[in-house]
Amino acid sequence: MQEKLKQLKTEALLALKSIKDKAQLEELEVRFLGRKGGELTELLKGLKDLSDDAKREVGQLANEVKTSLEEAVSAKKKEFSKIEMAGLLEKESLDISQPALPPKSFGHLHPNTIIQNDLEDFFTSMGFMVLDGPELESEYYNFSALNIPPDHPARDMQDTFYIKNHTDWVMRTHTSPVQVRAMQKYGAPLRMIVPGKCFRNEATDVRHEHTFYQLEGVVIDKDISFAHMKGVLESVAKHLYGPDTKINMRPKFYPFVEPGVNLEVTCFVCQGKGCRLCKQSGWLEIGGAGMIHPNVLRESGIDTKVNQGFAFGFGLTRLVMLKYGIEDVRLLESGNMKFLEQF
Amino acid sequence: MLISYNWLKKYVNLSDSITAEEVAAKLKASTVEVENIEVQGKNLENIVVGKILSESKHPNADKLRLCKVDVGNEQLQIVCGGSNVKSGMLVVLAKVGAKVKWHGEGELIELKPTKIRDVESSGMICASTEIGLAEMFPLKDEKEIVDLSHLKVKPGTALSVALGLNDAILEIDNKSLSNRPDLWGHYGIAREVAVLFNKTFKEYKVGKIKPGKEINIKVEVQNIKLCPRYMAVAMSGIKVGPSPEWLKKSLLAMGHRSINNIVDITNYVMMDLGQPLHAFDATKITNGKIVVRTAKDGEEFVTLDKEKRKLSSSMLVIADEAKALAVAGVMGGLDSGINDQTTSIIFESANFDASSIRSTSTKLGLRSDSSARFEKSLDPNLTAIALQKAVELVLADCVGAKVASKVVDESKFSLKQGPIALSTEFLEKKIGVKLPKKEVVRILEQLGFEVKSKGEEFSVKIPSWRATKDISIPEDLVEEIVRIYGYDKVSATMPTFSIVPPTEHRLRKLERTVKNILANSLAYTEVYNYSFVSGGQIEKMGDSLSKYIELDNPLSKEKPYLRRNLLLNLLENIKNNIENYPEVKIFEVGKVFSTKENGSRADSNGDSLLPRQDSWVAVAYANKKDSTPFWQAKQALESIFSGLNADFRVVPHDKVQPWEHPSRLALVHSGDQTLGVLCEISPDVSEAMGIEQRVGVLQLNLSLLEEVLSKQVGKSNYKPSSAYPDVVRDLAVLVKKNISHKDILSALTGSDPLLKSVSLFDVYEGKNIGAEYKSMAYRFVYQHNERTLVTEEVDKAHAAVIKILKEKFGAEIR
Repeated sequence: MQEKLKQLKTEALLALKSIKDKAQLEELEVRFLGRKGGELTELLKGLKDLSDDAKREVGQLANEVKTSLEEAVSAKKKEFSKIEMAGLLEKESLDISQPALPPKSFGHLHPNTIIQNDLEDFFTSMGFMVLDGPELESEYYNFSALNIPPDHPARDMQDTFYIKNHTDWVMRTHTSPVQVRAMQKYGAPLRMIVPGKCFRNEATDVRHEHTFYQLEGVVIDKDISFAHMKGVLESVAKHLYGPDTKINMRPKFYPFVEPGVNLEVTCFVCQGKGCRLCKQSGWLEIGGAGMIHPNVLRESGIDTKVNQGFAFGFGLTRLVMLKYGIEDVRLLESGNMKFLEQF
Repeated sequence: MLISYNWLKKYVNLSDSITAEEVAAKLKASTVEVENIEVQGKNLENIVVGKILSESKHPNADKLRLCKVDVGNEQLQIVCGGSNVKSGMLVVLAKVGAKVKWHGEGELIELKPTKIRDVESSGMICASTEIGLAEMFPLKDEKEIVDLSHLKVKPGTALSVALGLNDAILEIDNKSLSNRPDLWGHYGIAREVAVLFNKTFKEYKVGKIKPGKEINIKVEVQNIKLCPRYMAVAMSGIKVGPSPEWLKKSLLAMGHRSINNIVDITNYVMMDLGQPLHAFDATKITNGKIVVRTAKDGEEFVTLDKEKRKLSSSMLVIADEAKALAVAGVMGGLDSGINDQTTSIIFESANFDASSIRSTSTKLGLRSDSSARFEKSLDPNLTAIALQKAVELVLADCVGAKVASKVVDESKFSLKQGPIALSTEFLEKKIGVKLPKKEVVRILEQLGFEVKSKGEEFSVKIPSWRATKDISIPEDLVEEIVRIYGYDKVSATMPTFSIVPPTEHRLRKLERTVKNILANSLAYTEVYNYSFVSGGQIEKMGDSLSKYIELDNPLSKEKPYLRRNLLLNLLENIKNNIENYPEVKIFEVGKVFSTKENGSRADSNGDSLLPRQDSWVAVAYANKKDSTPFWQAKQALESIFSGLNADFRVVPHDKVQPWEHPSRLALVHSGDQTLGVLCEISPDVSEAMGIEQRVGVLQLNLSLLEEVLSKQVGKSNYKPSSAYPDVVRDLAVLVKKNISHKDILSALTGSDPLLKSVSLFDVYEGKNIGAEYKSMAYRFVYQHNERTLVTEEVDKAHAAVIKILKEKFGAEIR
């Protein structure tokens, strides 16, 4: 009987090897393992005629044969299922290059908003307040308080929009009036930025726009120095154009700072090697800065014996144009969807 | 302003190894903006002076000549088409390898040996335009070649050497000089260069004028405030004629045309020292008396440029007893200037009030080299040196010329030259790094400051040329020191601060949230518009111009008004885009300007106030297929408030604005405020604006909304939900159109404890149900908090709902 069992196992495993599909497998399963008339079942019917010792011995072998056959059949089953599923899934293939349909339309923030949000977050993370001020300003805040005397060229009608019947009102020509408003309101120490809309009375063309955006900043405390100004501006430059960005400062006159500098950063297109964008200089001008003039501090109620500070201003519009490679400034306020939906 | 590198070298001991580029780089880093460097003669390699030994007719061409040209080491055969070529003439000869512009046009082309009509030609005899020297040798006719016969040079001499073209011209941005009156001439720039390269700066040497007695001149300055100093001297024996070569060349390098020796000398001195001069013909000044006075209102005057100018009483003129001779510091008169017959002159070297010059030149629309300098506040001490220099140059140039009068000097000025107290501690505190004391003193002294040091303290006297406006406080000295020391040498450090969180800008945060909801959730596109609107736009809207603040000097007459809402420009955006898109969804966030309400204070003590400038959001929707865009606008409203987790109410509005659709209009309320308007634009207004589609619009005052939100503290929205299943029943009812959802909702809400929510999910109007009716489909949710409902309970509650609908609203169940 033991011989027969072994022979059955060999026979069954051999038969299993040549099985081609699920139907044949089922057939084979019934033939060898079927409860009714299966060869193993039939063979085991003879078990009852054996002695107790032989029963135990043969029974153990029978179990082993059964288990190994069942395992072999089950493995074969899995194999077939896998092949079958693969076939089925193959039929469900999709053209992944096609867009999701129906198309969903998306909205767009103005590019200026995108850059402004980014910079507001950056400065807020360094503890700066974000402030705001009137766009229609008084001559006092726009000029006088900023150490810009009455006969300064900036006050010319060619540069400044004045308001009819209110000789002392102007459309602010920069965001700097908020410096004074902020100092008067919050005093020192102070860290703040003010992004905002500004106006200059100049004809528009590809590079000039009478309405544009600036981002102004002020830091005031007891020992705020020129070196600190360099530190903060360098961190802004690195934030905007990457960790290898350097800054360059050159003298520039602004009545509300002393000393005053203009701010250049390594050209991000050519990494300072010189290209068309930076006019071969390797540098891009992005703003101005300086130590706040004592006259401005005094006008704003800051004790200049105790506190000092610096101010800076970026052309936000310019940053936007540089970032996206926009060559015509007028597009920004055109309301043209063909332009706006690209952001 | 142009600056000649060679001219600078007269005053600074620059070694030859220091190039013009290096000078420009240092000036840029520490002083002024250098926009360009033009190196003279840089394209003149292989171009030499040639002597024509013989010339004959070209065998195969009538208009060409065959020349034998001596170029020093060899003789070349050249074919030439020049109209003035003749034997013995010195010409510009471009040898093989030289770069020229054919006929003065296009790119530079390298010359190669060639055959012209079968005759060899190894080079080219050039016209001035072909070698970029048209300014120096203006063409009289097209085929004229440059005639260098006046030069005393050997054939073969390089052209750049023969013409002395070894200079480099620095172009300086005038704007970067606006606060530096001392830099408007070579001498001033040279001083900076000397400091920057730590080289010796040469004193300006000029001798005293020996007065004459021949001519008696008098000067009366009537307004000493506008003319703090007026110096004049007469010279006789003058022969007006062409300037000497060196002078012509100097002016030409500066882009100035040579006029005559006297005028050229005044210009030269101006470019040398920065002090404008003027020369009058002495015979044209009645009684030799110069009067410096303000003009009479309406006084007419013809300036040098032959323009008739109308003067006003704020302008200063130089006059004699009879008539005006010049607009002071701006431009001379046509009649009193130098001409070929002039034999005696009066030099004026004066100082004028900067703002007066600027306002005069602005009012006349007349800017000159002279006014550009005077309006920067020149050093009054400069007048004496400049006058001495001019006289010296005339004496050197004109044989027979002599000083014919005493030197008149009318002056009243005082300069605030300090001293300023400065300490190393102050410097270090401002700059953030410690500078060597020796370096500080060197920088200041080389710039012309007189420094007395006592320990760590300095007492610094300001030189007169920096004392007129640019330096007055210690901070000004800090700038002088650090810019020369080098901004790049100051190492960057970050300031340290207490970690106080910044005060939040709540309005800006709200603006950002609203923008994100509109753009990201509802697919609206953000636009930025000008703050200006046109009278046409206002009138088309049916609004009144008087409600708008007006610019005094608009850029164009087109848009002179300040917007009082965002709508006007937003509608213009719709009009401009709707042709290209089936649907336009746009919004803008920005400030508007009120004529009625006051806003921020206009001065430090708050006595006067600016107009209120609230921030608004405006949303506009138009779709070619949507005739009721009101709902899209309302969806924007709902989304905004949902995103803000805040409540709003819409209420009917009876004060209809001309542009509002009277029956598709609502006010938006929240808290105790009216925040804005929800409406469709009245179709006739859209049409007037060129929009065929209906436009749905939402306008919200974000400044007010922020106030409302700031009052809502700790609003809790969460309610525990029942663990037992709810039962949903949908029902469509037919009601008359005048029945409002709001009334149905308030009648049903709370009508039965099991009824948890009532929501409208569809409204239908159409032919099938009659014109006066609408079908409203509601969803009712029934639920008990403590157990599962049985059908009978729900039936009973639903029946009660139906009863209310029928009895209160005459609803017909569909």
